Amino acid sequence: LGHARIFTFFSFKHCVLWVIVKLKEKHLVLLRDGRTLIGILRSIDQFANLVLHQTVERIHVGKKFGDIPRGIFLVRGENVVLLGEVDLDKECDQILQRVSIEEILEEQRTEQQAKQESERLKLQAVKERGLSIPKADTLDDF
Amino acid sequence: MFHFQSFDDDCTLEEEEGLVEEEDEIDQFNDDTFGAGAIDNDWQEEHARLAGLDERVRDEVDGAGDASSVDLSLSGSNAHSSAPPQPSSSSRLYPSIDERGGGDLAESLTHLILGSDPAIAGVGAASSDRSLRPLMLSGQTPQPSALAGQSSLLLSYQQQHQVMHRGPAPLSQINSHSIWENSMGFSPVSSGLLTQKEDKTLMSIIKEVGLPNRPPALSREEGRDFSERVPPPRSSSPVIGSPPVRAVPIGTPPKQPMSHVHTQQNNHPSAIQHVRASMPLRYPPPFPERLSPNNLLSIASSPLSHSPFPAGVGPVLSQIQRAQLLNSQVGPFQRGPAPPLLQGGVGGFRPFFGQSGPRVGLHGPPLGHAPIRHNTTHLHPQHRRMLNQRMQNRGLGDHVGGRGVGDRKNRDPYSNLMTQREKEWVARIQMMQLQSTDPYLDDYYYQNYYEKMEKRQERDRDNRKEHTTKLITPQVAKLEHTYRPVQFAGSLGKLTVSSVNNPRKMIDAVVTTRSDDEEKREKQVWNKRRQILYTVEKMYSLLLEVQDFEKKFLQTPEHQRDALLEQHKTHMVQLYNSLREKEWDDRVSDKQCLMIMSVRKGKRLISRLLPFLPQPHAAAVVMGIARNLPALAKKDKHDQVLCWLVEPVTTVIQSMSSTSLTDLLQELQGSEGQLPLVLQNKFGVTLLYLILSEGERMQSSDPNCQLMDDNRWTELVFSVTRELLKVPSSALSSPLFTPPNLVSLFSRYVDRQRLELLQEKLQITSLTR
Repeated sequence: LGHARIFTFFSFKHCVLWVIVKLKEKHLVLLRDGRTLIGILRSIDQFANLVLHQTVERIHVGKKFGDIPRGIFLVRGENVVLLGEVDLDKECDQILQRVSIEEILEEQRTEQQAKQESERLKLQAVKERGLSIPKADTLDDF
Repeated sequence: MFHFQSFDDDCTLEEEEGLVEEEDEIDQFNDDTFGAGAIDNDWQEEHARLAGLDERVRDEVDGAGDASSVDLSLSGSNAHSSAPPQPSSSSRLYPSIDERGGGDLAESLTHLILGSDPAIAGVGAASSDRSLRPLMLSGQTPQPSALAGQSSLLLSYQQQHQVMHRGPAPLSQINSHSIWENSMGFSPVSSGLLTQKEDKTLMSIIKEVGLPNRPPALSREEGRDFSERVPPPRSSSPVIGSPPVRAVPIGTPPKQPMSHVHTQQNNHPSAIQHVRASMPLRYPPPFPERLSPNNLLSIASSPLSHSPFPAGVGPVLSQIQRAQLLNSQVGPFQRGPAPPLLQGGVGGFRPFFGQSGPRVGLHGPPLGHAPIRHNTTHLHPQHRRMLNQRMQNRGLGDHVGGRGVGDRKNRDPYSNLMTQREKEWVARIQMMQLQSTDPYLDDYYYQNYYEKMEKRQERDRDNRKEHTTKLITPQVAKLEHTYRPVQFAGSLGKLTVSSVNNPRKMIDAVVTTRSDDEEKREKQVWNKRRQILYTVEKMYSLLLEVQDFEKKFLQTPEHQRDALLEQHKTHMVQLYNSLREKEWDDRVSDKQCLMIMSVRKGKRLISRLLPFLPQPHAAAVVMGIARNLPALAKKDKHDQVLCWLVEPVTTVIQSMSSTSLTDLLQELQGSEGQLPLVLQNKFGVTLLYLILSEGERMQSSDPNCQLMDDNRWTELVFSVTRELLKVPSSALSSPLFTPPNLVSLFSRYVDRQRLELLQEKLQITSLTR
C-alpha cells in the first residue's frame, strides 16, 4: 500500500488535476476492448467517465494507421484503460504511416484472420499432444 | 468619456474672485442633488491637482517617466481608445465650462452628470452615507469587461495616485467617471456616493480587501462564451434524517463545517497579503509580462472561496493556504482556469493586477504550464519544489507551442463545458481519497523516503542558509458520522430515513438470549422426543419390511425363500426386542412401552405391529398396554388415538387363553384406583368390555374352560361390577361398542337388583354413545 500511495500522491494528484485542467486538449484514450480513441476531452467525472468531442477512432496495424471519425463519445469510466494527452507537435512527426479507412480496415481484417489461424493451429497442435489449454477467462479482449 | 484632461488650469476653482453667486448657485444645486455637505473644499482641490497632473501627463505622453506616469499614459490612451465619442462630447461641453470659468467646475460636472445620466438626476441625499460605500464598490464590479477595464484602470491608477497624492477627490473623479462609464449597471443610490470625503475609506478597502464579495454568478456569466451552456441547478435531497443540506450536489461526500470557510474568507486578505510578500522571494515570475503570481493565486483562491462548494473546497484550501504559508512556499498558480476568469468579470481583481495586468490587455492565451498548487499540502516541501521544477520545465517547453493553440482555443465554442467548479469538484472527490489521518500508516514509504532525503540534505549542506522546511501535513480529523435516528417525542419507534449520504439499516434485528436453564430444559424435551421418534421410526422400517414380507415371499424364487424367511424372523425378533423388558422375555418393558406410546406415531406403530407378532409376544404387548393404561390414557388426552388399538387388541384378546385373559383383566385392574381411571377412558372401558365379553364367550361356549378353575376370574369380575356400580355415570365413559353378552355375564355374578342397576347404567352408557 505504501508504494501505491507514493504514486498516488505524486502522480495521481497532479495527473488528475492536470487532465482536468487540460480539458479542451486532444487526448488519447485506450479502452479495454483495445480501441484507441482520440478526441478533445470535454468533461470528466469522478468515475473517469469521459466526454470526447470530435473523436476519431484510430486503428493501428503494423506501421500503418487509419482514422475513423466518430463524433462525440461518452465513455463509461470502467472501460478506460488509460488516458493521455496528445502532444500535437509530436503527432506530426511519426514513424507511422497514415492510410485510408478502407485500407486500414482491410489490414485489420487480414491481421485478425492471421491471428485466428495461428490460434487454431496452436490449439490443434496442443490437442494432438493430449493437452488442453484452459479458456482465458478475461473480459478484456486484448 | 469625460476626461479631466479637458479641464484646463484656468478651470480651477477660484472661490474668491467674484464667483460667490455661482458658488452659491453651485452649492444650492449640489445641495439639491446631493444633499448638504456635498461640496467639499478638498474635493475641489484634489480635482484641481488632478487636472493639473493630467495636463502634465498629457505633455509627457511619449516619455514614460515612472510607473505611474506610464500607467497614466496607458490609462489615458486606453481611455481614449475605448471611448472615442466621448472626447467630442466633452469638448462640446468644455466651451460651456470654459465660458463660465473655473469656478463653475462643480456645476459643469454636475451638469455633465445629469446630462448623461438621467438616472443620477433623481438622486437623493445619499451623500453622507458611508455604509453605501462598499456597496458602490461592489456594485461597480459586475460590469462588462471593457468598461470594467476602464474603471478599474482608473481605479488602479487612482490607487497609485492615492498613494502619491493623498486625498479623496481623485476617487470621486474616478467614481464619477465610473458612473458615466457604467451607467448601465449602476444604481442611482451608489452614484450618489460620488463626492464624499469617505473616499479614503473606500480606497483603503480596495487596497486591503480587494473585492472579495463579488457575486460569483455575475462574474461567471459575463466571462462565458455565448455557446456555453448554463449547468442546470443541482438538486440536493433535503431529507429528514440526512445531514443538513448545503446546496451541494448529491453524491458529494460529507464535508467539514462551513465555519471554516468564513474564517478563511475573512483571513483571506491577510493571506493574500502575506503571500504576496513572500512571492517574489521564491519565484521569478515565469511570465513577467503577464499576470504576476499574486494575481494567479488570487484568481485561484477567490473563485474557490466564492464558489458554492465553499464547504468542501474552502477548508481544504484554507488548510493548504495555511500550510503554504507555514512552509513559506507558494507556487505560481495554474493558468488553465485563469483565462475564463480573466476574460470574465474579474474586474474585482483588477486592483491586484494594478501593476502589470491592464497594460497588456487581458486576452492572453493561457500558458498552461503552471502546476496546480492547491492540494499539494500533503506533499513534502522538497517534493513540491521538485514538482514545480518539472512543471516549469515542461511548461516552458510548451509555452511556445501553446501560444498558437491558445488563440484558437479562445474561439473554441465548446470550451468551458466543464465549469471550474465542476473540475474542482471532480478533483476534490479524487483528492478526498488521498486524505489520511495517519500518513505514516497510509503512506509509509513516501514519508520515510522524504525524511531520509531531508536528513541527507541537511547532512550534505550543513549550516546552509536555506532552511529545511518541515513537512506539516494537515491531519484530517476522523469525524464520526454517527447517526442518531430522528425521533418525535411521544411516538413509538424511530423515524428512519435514509439518503445517499447516510444509509440506514432497514431491519432492527434484536438478539434475544434465553437463560441457560430454560434452554437446557427445552433442549432436553426436544432431545427426548427426538429419541422417541427415532426409535419409533426405526421400528417402523422393520415393520414395513415385515409387512411386505408376504409379497416378497411370493415373488422370490424357491431357493431364496428360506433366506427371506430367516430375515423375516430376524425382523420380528428385533421388533419385539425393542419392546420387551431387558431380561424377561414375556414382558414388555413399561418404560419402552410408555415411551413409544407417548407419540401418535408410536401408537400407530403398535397397532400395526400387533397383528404380526406371534401370540405370546402380542399378548405381552397387550398386557403392557393394560398395565400402563392410566398413564397411556393421560398421555393420550391430547391425541385421542388410543382407539386405534382396539381392533388389533380385540384380535389378540380373542386368541388369548383363559389364564392370560384373567391375567389381563388383573393387569387392567391393577392396583387400587386404577380401574376408575380406566373406566374414565374410552379405550379403557372398551378394553374392559372386550375382556369381559371374551371371558363370557369362553364360559358360555365351552363349559369346561379353565376360566372358573380358580376364583380369580370371578373375583375380578366381582370387583369390576362393584366398581362399575360405584362409579358415577359421569366418570364412566362410553365405549366404542358394547358387546352384547355383557348382560349374560353380569347375570352370572350379580343379583337381580344389581343387574338391573348395571343394565341401566350400562344401557345408559350404551345409549349415550
